[in-house]
Amino acid sequence: MAQSLAKEFTKGLWAEIPPFRLVLGLCPVLAVTTKVENGLGMGIATTFVLVFSNLLVSLLRNIIPSKVRIACYIVIIATFVTIVELGMQALVYPLFLKLGIFIPLIVVNCIVLGRAEAFASKNGPVLAVADGLGIGIGFTLSLAALAAVRELLGAGTITIWNGVTIFEMGVNFQPFAFMVQAPGAFVALGLMLAGMNLIGKK
Amino acid sequence: MREMISMIVVLTVLTSVSGFLLSTVQSVTKEPIEIAILNIVQAPAIKEIFPEAENDPIAERFPIETENGPIKIFPAKLADGNTAIAFETKGKGGYGGDVGFMVGINLENDQIIATRVTTHSETPGFGARAKDDPEFVSQFAEKSMSDNLGLKSSGGSIDAMSGATVTSMAITLAVKEAQRLYKQLKPEILKQIK
Amino acid sequence: MEYFELAIGCIFINNILLAQFLGNCPFLGTSKKMETAVGMAMAVIFVLVLAGVITWVVDAYLLKAFDLEYLRTVSFILVIASLVQFVEMFLKKSIPALYAGLGIFLPLITTNCAVMGACLLNISKEYGFMKTLVSSFSYAVGFGLALILFAGVRERINLAKVPKPLQDTSIALVTAGVIALTFMSFKGMV
Repeated sequence: MAQSLAKEFTKGLWAEIPPFRLVLGLCPVLAVTTKVENGLGMGIATTFVLVFSNLLVSLLRNIIPSKVRIACYIVIIATFVTIVELGMQALVYPLFLKLGIFIPLIVVNCIVLGRAEAFASKNGPVLAVADGLGIGIGFTLSLAALAAVRELLGAGTITIWNGVTIFEMGVNFQPFAFMVQAPGAFVALGLMLAGMNLIGKK
Repeated sequence: MREMISMIVVLTVLTSVSGFLLSTVQSVTKEPIEIAILNIVQAPAIKEIFPEAENDPIAERFPIETENGPIKIFPAKLADGNTAIAFETKGKGGYGGDVGFMVGINLENDQIIATRVTTHSETPGFGARAKDDPEFVSQFAEKSMSDNLGLKSSGGSIDAMSGATVTSMAITLAVKEAQRLYKQLKPEILKQIK
Repeated sequence: MEYFELAIGCIFINNILLAQFLGNCPFLGTSKKMETAVGMAMAVIFVLVLAGVITWVVDAYLLKAFDLEYLRTVSFILVIASLVQFVEMFLKKSIPALYAGLGIFLPLITTNCAVMGACLLNISKEYGFMKTLVSSFSYAVGFGLALILFAGVRERINLAKVPKPLQDTSIALVTAGVIALTFMSFKGMV
């Protein structure tokens, strides 16, 4: 039990780390990774939704009729997304402003629905939470990593929390603005994926 | 038939539980959200616009009706005895969406005292400089509310930020909206302050 | 003229795929072959126009009227999901030829954030009914345009020698970046 629990948790961190291994949920990945703080915030919000929707779907898996299961999952996910939306506005309003439309869009993030359908609906609540947490943390790490590359090259800083900059390039550094704009997101993600393939293939 | 009923029952129960849960969360978070907007978005801008106000403009705020719903007016007593107000408008069409802009106006001579960007989602290092580095917005200070405050390229008197023309444009639109509202609302504002 | 500008803006400048980053999963998933790309593009145009109009009506006459704006996320996703189901059933029964072409793409659209995203954007920009109609259609056309262009490029890449680690998704993303770069040159047009 403990072993499979650990397995479900850790698979999200490397073997199935989204969005690199599971190419799902790309929209927020590309859109909010202009700063590390935004990437972290988005990742944490998604993790919250993933864990709770997985838990609920798993608890209700024997009650939900299979014909309307997708509709039920969507209601469950949308409820938690709205809770995150309202909670973020009350607690971390500046972050909510930056993430904007991408918070309600967690609802259509294929990762969340995908985990509900592929994992939580077939497994017990404890495993489902472990799976949600693992995938969620993996997603957060990927977002933070991509954001770190983009922010460092594009603006010359790494900002982890509302104005707290932990690293700054010297004055001679000329920001590579391409990286923080739309095309840079695609290119940076593509090259990081290639990097992961290179390491993983061994 | 049984399957049909169970489908309907499960969906109905699920949606009503969800609706109930959300209305509870909403009523709990309603006030903190309003306070958060005030503290995080508007208060810092007000403090920078009126650093030496003798009253508390945030506590004394009052709403005024416009055709697009109420806006908040922040009144301030200046050190020289004059009265000023500040309010926020939105500039449409920034690079990453609307740009929120707070304009402080001296009621005695209709001059702008200072201006600040409140909300934006502009590109870091480009449009976002309007908020972090106030050099651009300081151009509006001491301009009259009846001047043409467009960009120089469109016959106004404001220099665009280099590399961020779109953001600069959105901000001048916000200022123009502020000028329009000010003209329309000034009598009402004076009545409320007296 | 205003509507024309809005349409150009939504198709090219604020292209929903390449500038707003919405709907990227089907962008990468259905662009391997031209055929599937065209099917997906058509299905999105069809559903997005309907969804844009219906969510606008729901927002204006139900949510705003009863101060229920916090239920927006829940109600929009339900509207879109049931709309997709309904369209699927309707096409299957009455226009089988169209269903044969679009059918397999329809279920994918529920989780296509381009649809949900465009509906939310229309609301947040406070568009009226006509503007919602125009922008929904234009966003969908922009989606289709980018998707079909991208599929064309990807078919060519299949014939090229790509270094091993870069194969498949990786090179596709870099290519998408280059296409996004060309779309950036439309900035400032309107």
